[in-house]
Amino acid sequence: MEQSELTGGYIFDIQGFSVHDGPGCRTLIFFKGCPLRCLWCSNPEGIRPYPEPLYKESKCLFDLYCLQACHHQAISVHVGQDNPRIDFEREKCRKCNTYDCVKACLTGALGQGGYFISLTDLYARIERDRLYWGQQGGITLTGGEPFAQPEFAANLLKRCYNALIHTAVETCGEVPWENIEPSLKWLDWIFFDLKHMDEAAHKHLTSSSGHRILENARRLADSFEGRMVFRFPLVPGLNDSDENIRATAGFILSTGRTELNILPVHHLGREKYLLSGQSYKLPGLEMTARDQLITIQNRFTELGVKCYLGSETPF
Amino acid sequence: MESSSESINYYGNKPAQQVEDREKKLKPTERANTARELYFGAKSSASMEFPYWYTRRWDELDGEIPIIRRAESLKAGFEHLTPVIYPGELLAMGKASFLRGSYPMPWLSEAFFMAAEDRLYQEALESGKLTADTFTTVGKGGGNVTKSIGKVISIAGKFGLRVEEMPVMLEVAKRWKDRSVDDVGHKYEQMVPGYKEKEAIMRSVICMFDSGYTLPQGREVMNYYYPLQYGIDGVIHICEEGMNEVAGYPEMDRLYFYKAVITMLQGLKAWIRNYAEEARFLANLEKEEKQKAEYSDLAERLDHISASPPRDFHDALQMIWTFHVAVLNEDAISGLSPGRVGQVLYPYWKRDMDRGILNREKTIELLECMRIKFTEIDCFASMGVVGGVLSGNTFNNLCIGGLKKDGTSAANELEMLILETGISCETPQPTLSLLYDEKLPEEFLLKGIECTKAGAGYPAWVSNTVAMEFLLNNYGHEGMQMEEARAWAIGGCLETSPGSWMPLNLDGEIHWIPGGSAPATSVGVHFLSLPKILETVIFDGMDMRTGERIFPAHGLKLESYDELWQAFQNYFSRAVHVLTLTNNIQHDAWRKISPSLVNSMLKPDCLEKGRDLGQMGARFNTTFNVESCGNTTLVNALASLKKNVYDEKNFDLATYRKAILDNFGYHTAQETGSWSLIDQKPNEQYSEYQRIHRMSLDAPKFGNDDPYVDSLFKQWEDWFCEMTHNYRSLYDQPMYACQISVSTHAPMGAVTLASPDGRLSGTTFSDGSVSAYPGTDRHGPYALFSSATCWNHSQSQNSQLNMKIHPSVVRGREGSRKFLELIRAYMRKGGFHVQFNIVDSRMLKQAQADPDKFRSLLVRVAGFTQYWVELGKQIQDEVIARTEYEEL
Repeated sequence: MEQSELTGGYIFDIQGFSVHDGPGCRTLIFFKGCPLRCLWCSNPEGIRPYPEPLYKESKCLFDLYCLQACHHQAISVHVGQDNPRIDFEREKCRKCNTYDCVKACLTGALGQGGYFISLTDLYARIERDRLYWGQQGGITLTGGEPFAQPEFAANLLKRCYNALIHTAVETCGEVPWENIEPSLKWLDWIFFDLKHMDEAAHKHLTSSSGHRILENARRLADSFEGRMVFRFPLVPGLNDSDENIRATAGFILSTGRTELNILPVHHLGREKYLLSGQSYKLPGLEMTARDQLITIQNRFTELGVKCYLGSETPF
Repeated sequence: MESSSESINYYGNKPAQQVEDREKKLKPTERANTARELYFGAKSSASMEFPYWYTRRWDELDGEIPIIRRAESLKAGFEHLTPVIYPGELLAMGKASFLRGSYPMPWLSEAFFMAAEDRLYQEALESGKLTADTFTTVGKGGGNVTKSIGKVISIAGKFGLRVEEMPVMLEVAKRWKDRSVDDVGHKYEQMVPGYKEKEAIMRSVICMFDSGYTLPQGREVMNYYYPLQYGIDGVIHICEEGMNEVAGYPEMDRLYFYKAVITMLQGLKAWIRNYAEEARFLANLEKEEKQKAEYSDLAERLDHISASPPRDFHDALQMIWTFHVAVLNEDAISGLSPGRVGQVLYPYWKRDMDRGILNREKTIELLECMRIKFTEIDCFASMGVVGGVLSGNTFNNLCIGGLKKDGTSAANELEMLILETGISCETPQPTLSLLYDEKLPEEFLLKGIECTKAGAGYPAWVSNTVAMEFLLNNYGHEGMQMEEARAWAIGGCLETSPGSWMPLNLDGEIHWIPGGSAPATSVGVHFLSLPKILETVIFDGMDMRTGERIFPAHGLKLESYDELWQAFQNYFSRAVHVLTLTNNIQHDAWRKISPSLVNSMLKPDCLEKGRDLGQMGARFNTTFNVESCGNTTLVNALASLKKNVYDEKNFDLATYRKAILDNFGYHTAQETGSWSLIDQKPNEQYSEYQRIHRMSLDAPKFGNDDPYVDSLFKQWEDWFCEMTHNYRSLYDQPMYACQISVSTHAPMGAVTLASPDGRLSGTTFSDGSVSAYPGTDRHGPYALFSSATCWNHSQSQNSQLNMKIHPSVVRGREGSRKFLELIRAYMRKGGFHVQFNIVDSRMLKQAQADPDKFRSLLVRVAGFTQYWVELGKQIQDEVIARTEYEEL
């Protein structure tokens, strides 16, 4: 079958029984590919828009079955001063749809990050999970960036919405408005990420100025009829200054929306950087302490924003 | 909202942040806390008092009618038990004169507790009776006496016996040689054609235990109606009237039964009064006014219930406890469930509350004392039974919820307090099971969630609907109808057991209380090791660990999957056939030599019929079953063979045979000292087997909603549940399937070579019956639920699903609601049972390293809750390796 956005799309995970990303118990669909490069990204294997090999060095015995199996000459052995390791030219992997290297691996060191799934298969999975959600529940598209595959997102949301399934999306907003618009009438809920109000800082943190993000946020706040909750990934020392907090609160209130969910950034994604051949840019990051979080929450509240910490969002 | 896409991480888990503790913490009352501390310090202790007097009286009555002889011996035992009362006890009495006391019952079996060098022991070993013992570990911590210390000798690997009682034990044991249920049963079971095959099956640990003399009673629900309604004197009166009616008429056994019950009850009366006397004695000595008054009150209460029906809630609770212990003292028993105690006692409780003589605080104190008392129960049995089946647990399962006789919700306020004390006073006993029904109120269910979240592992959640369907299917021919099916409860760890509604008359008003009305379930064929049977199929009937032939060679080339499956069915059926026949003989010896009297007196309709349980005195008698172990390991192995040998032809069977014998190029579990697959280490042969091992591990695994393997699971279930009906129990009733592993998946795994699913030699099997093999359920709980419910659970007496959930997933109010939704979804999908460990794996690893700090840590194993430190290492490793569901 042709792998087009009409028939399906690229994802890297589906999680049932997710309890923090919308009302009830939900099924999360992780879209592959993201336009931003946030320093703290906790799903680095979701950044590239196509499937890729994931490599766990600690399990590798250097049998090199993968090397023999690869048809694209994408694999090379790197012998430096340290332990040997295997390198992938991931641009070449993009052409691959057979993943013979993963099949050839006998130690479990290689895995496949991301795959194409047809709408039919994905919907069947959602229908199965639906039995387990309970009274509320639904689907949340996340990633990666769901609106980076706009037709896939819209088709999936439409199918679910028409089947009376509660639909939510979590977006970074860094996409053309045309990517968002077709999905809107099939959506009940949007989480919209705000990372920094200052253009230069935003560029430093995410590799984009954030201009289009704020523009899309305003348009969404005006036109979207469902509930819209902003999300703020709190990165200590990088976006938690009082100045940025005031600016963020000011922006939220200017859109006419009032809700903000603070997500303290954590280190749990660190190991996955190595798997996908990337390096983690914030190794020295400290977790924000609980009392500090409450101080920030109080500050937002003073400024007139309804602010929720972590998983405490009332759904 | 982080993806857990750990697609390349097979067995085992990741997280590395701080250890999460459980959420809810309540403290027990001062009184219960003191008692629990006392318990933590106590060792499992055996005494010879009861068996000495029992045996002495038995020998005096040579030639007497057996049931009378039995009654007199029980009476002598009870009369001579030294009463011990501990300060602060509101409920008194125990099995023996130690806090964690118990005693051997040589009239059942005398060989296993003899010293290992003794001749009797060697004989038992040769006949395969004790093979399971040698592969079982019991926990080294807690109250287990695993080594002799000073003047205390360790027996059966767990119990301490004072050195001066040792000669008594040996002498008493020798007196029962050739007379015990074990020895007599053994003499006659050899007359079953194919008996030699049975011995080979036991030696290979394809079957874990004989049934008739190990734990001949238990896995059943108690019924306290008769003593509650009539008092002991009232029951004696019923028996006297019975004697008058039947004396001289045909079916004279009824006369002896009534007479025996009277004799036994006289023994119980003396036993209770001895305790009353002791309480009075202590009251006289005691200087402190409050404690003095409590002793006096206890003395008066015990005197009262030694004759008359209870006057209030406290009396009724003491009465229930007394009869519970009395049954435990007549046989080696595990899984004696008190049943739906909160509903039985509710009329007393409500009346006291209405009268203003009881309040919530006092109730909680009493219920906590009850928890401690049930936790003190020890079961004296062989190491294989205590470690391998029970993990030191005695399975006194208390059920809450379910429906009333009229079909409305049975949950009540007293049950809310039972849940409350399950949180405040965490102890393994009584473990709780919540009989889930759509009609139960939300408040009650959320209280159950609160208790489950507290992390002690209870309540287990079981489906009322599935259980009733099972009961109506299997007991309909004995006259059970819908209304009576509602009276069921869990007997033992997870055995669906029939019950009946009893008309309790209080002040002229009838309260229909539920109580058990059948004898022991989980008697019959005990724990068949499915992966080991598959191993013999692959090796043409041989046990390759020992080189012994178990089954006759099938001589098949096994060229198709169907041929393999048929060969498996054939061997499995052979095992069930011979074990059913030999166990029927053992149980016949049991009912002749050691008939149940206390339990028979309690169960309807023994008193009405004038027959004991062994003569089908109970209302329902279809209780024998066939138990399986290692379901998921079997089906994963079959799926791997189907895929790699038959469908894709990646390897031939000869290659698999070699790989299995060489353990896929790994060191053995014994060498690595861990029984969990994740900890196993490759040896120099590894590269030869790397490919076949990887492809075996990569073959479809149960628990991922994969039709390739789930269809094989369903095929197994449909066949197994049906085939058991072809075998008849001692009571000429069809048998049925029972699917719980308890702890047998560890010792049975220990004697099984590597299996085609990639599991390595000696490692523990999958637990429960629909749990995934640890670490192989990689698509979340919804996929696991879908696999687990790919067949109809009401075909079987039970199914069992164990899950480990990280505390962070269910934290807070919102977490509670979502947790309930998860459980409810599984029940609606047709799941029978699910239970949870709400615990961080890293905490368990810390506890393994530093047991003293974690003395009170409770975890859920396969159907029961136990102190972590009292579990064998095999089971500890298995619990740690279970997939942990967490949010990140």
